[in-house]
Amino acid sequence: MGLKSSRRRAMRRAVTGYLFLSPAIVFYLIFLIIPVGMSIYISFKKWNMLVPLSSSKFIGWKNYQDLFKDEMFLYALKNTLIWALGTVFLGMLIALGIALLILKVRRASLWRFLVFAPVVTPLVAVARIWQDGIYKTSGGMLNSILTLMHLPPQHWLANDQIALFSIMAVAIWAGVGSTVIIFTAGLKGIPEEYYQAAKIDGANAWHEFFHVTLPLLRPTILFLAVTGLIGAWQAFDLVFQMGAGGTQSGVSSLKSIILLNVYLYQTAFQNLRMGRATAGAFILFLIVLCFTFVVLKILRQGGVESYE
Amino acid sequence: MNKTEILKYLLLILIAAAMFLPFFWLVSASLQKYEEIISIPLTWIPSIPQWSNYLEVLTNSNVKLGLYFKNSFIVSTMITVLVLLTSSLAGYALAKLTFPGRDFFFNFILSTMMFPTFIFLIPVYYILRKFPLLGGNNLFGQGGSGALTSYAGLVLPFMVSAWGIFLMRQFMMNIPDDFLDAARIDGAGEFRIFTVIIAPLVKPAFVTLAIFQFISNWNAFLWPLIVTTSAQYLMTLPVGLRMMVTAYSTSTVQNRLFAATVLGIIPTIIVFLALQRHYVKGITLSGIK
Repeated sequence: MGLKSSRRRAMRRAVTGYLFLSPAIVFYLIFLIIPVGMSIYISFKKWNMLVPLSSSKFIGWKNYQDLFKDEMFLYALKNTLIWALGTVFLGMLIALGIALLILKVRRASLWRFLVFAPVVTPLVAVARIWQDGIYKTSGGMLNSILTLMHLPPQHWLANDQIALFSIMAVAIWAGVGSTVIIFTAGLKGIPEEYYQAAKIDGANAWHEFFHVTLPLLRPTILFLAVTGLIGAWQAFDLVFQMGAGGTQSGVSSLKSIILLNVYLYQTAFQNLRMGRATAGAFILFLIVLCFTFVVLKILRQGGVESYE
Repeated sequence: MNKTEILKYLLLILIAAAMFLPFFWLVSASLQKYEEIISIPLTWIPSIPQWSNYLEVLTNSNVKLGLYFKNSFIVSTMITVLVLLTSSLAGYALAKLTFPGRDFFFNFILSTMMFPTFIFLIPVYYILRKFPLLGGNNLFGQGGSGALTSYAGLVLPFMVSAWGIFLMRQFMMNIPDDFLDAARIDGAGEFRIFTVIIAPLVKPAFVTLAIFQFISNWNAFLWPLIVTTSAQYLMTLPVGLRMMVTAYSTSTVQNRLFAATVLGIIPTIIVFLALQRHYVKGITLSGIK
């Protein structure tokens, strides 16, 4: 009797659990699981979305093969690799520097707001500021400084050699705030005793940083690297706004700023090659998986896992 | 003051300038005459502030700024409310209820954060177009335009957030089980426990999640760009501003574009300033396991 009722209670509790979870389950079914299944199918198809999917032609691995014959895709791969590594790791380095600087300064919250303001600003506005204010060829802030130093002005966004790096700088500027805040939380979480112990052992500031701060920040660094890379491999808004989306005169944009997501967007929604675009998305997924795996492998081995 | 102190303050001033001056320039440019905007070197302070730039951009019937604002506001608010609801329900199940497969669901939801958007984006577009009973579609998704010609197309794909579920679960884990067991002994059902006990206790999490969702959806660009290309009346602010850029960036009314951009920044800055503490807490929480 007691067993029966407890089993019934467990059963009822399970049903309640699924009931609470059901909106999420239905959502993931419609907007994730079924779509991913469809994507696998689409990636073997030649489909332009104008005809029903079932009546499109099955072409096997051709979409994948074509991608690696497409010069633009290879450019996009290379550009996005530079973009992801540069924005994430340089961004983290700068953010750690800022976090250390403002950690013990007076009015830290004011400083945090300053570095954080671009994070909540729409990227369309960020793009406007940098394109028309800072990177403008004639009379822009950067070129004015160069002129003062008797250096030749640059075409920051129109020169294929530097355009990608120009926009990477903007991405770092716009994103550094959230990284600073996460680093600040990580730094504040390091128990003061560790520093006191290091001082007793006669460590200088340099030793302290490399033997106390950095090892104990490992979980924070791991988190930032993983989430940062996942996001950076999919960057779209900024490069699209600052040139990759084409200009008003319809001039084709620079090769150096075509990132993977821009390539996928153009392939799918401008050239209507849905098969090739989804095939590219799976390659992107593989890359993201590999990077996550490698970062976990490198940063997890040895050292301090957690200090709580 | 020793040398390192001086260096430290110089660096701080440099950082402050690098973060602040770009915004200052934008606000200044939005108040300048066209001649000042194209002047060399850059104009930092307008001779006479041209408030008319703002007036024009708000009243000119060719600039549909009001529409963009309305769309962004409705879409961001709807998504925020739905995400709060779905995240707290799922978070409660994952934190406080036991059922087979719970860990599997939790790990699955976490892993979805690693999926690149484009893996499901194209089918989702197709599914929304064939969505039953919306936009003139029949039960089998035929005959109409589906969810893509209404707010549903912009809202539905974002009504659940993996990060939101994670945040809610972490918050609810901290609530002692004794609370809930006491209520259960008194005969309260799980839904009643959820609304009467849990919901008030996790109010800070609600606030954090709400700000996050509102700001990130207010700023969203890729999906609204794709959907509103064929349904311009649904354009949200970022896409609308982008349209203005392609139309205005080289013309003599560039200053209006800057005015519109400033107006587009204001809502998120206000939300952020008013609720900064919660926003920062949310970011910090996402950084710890």
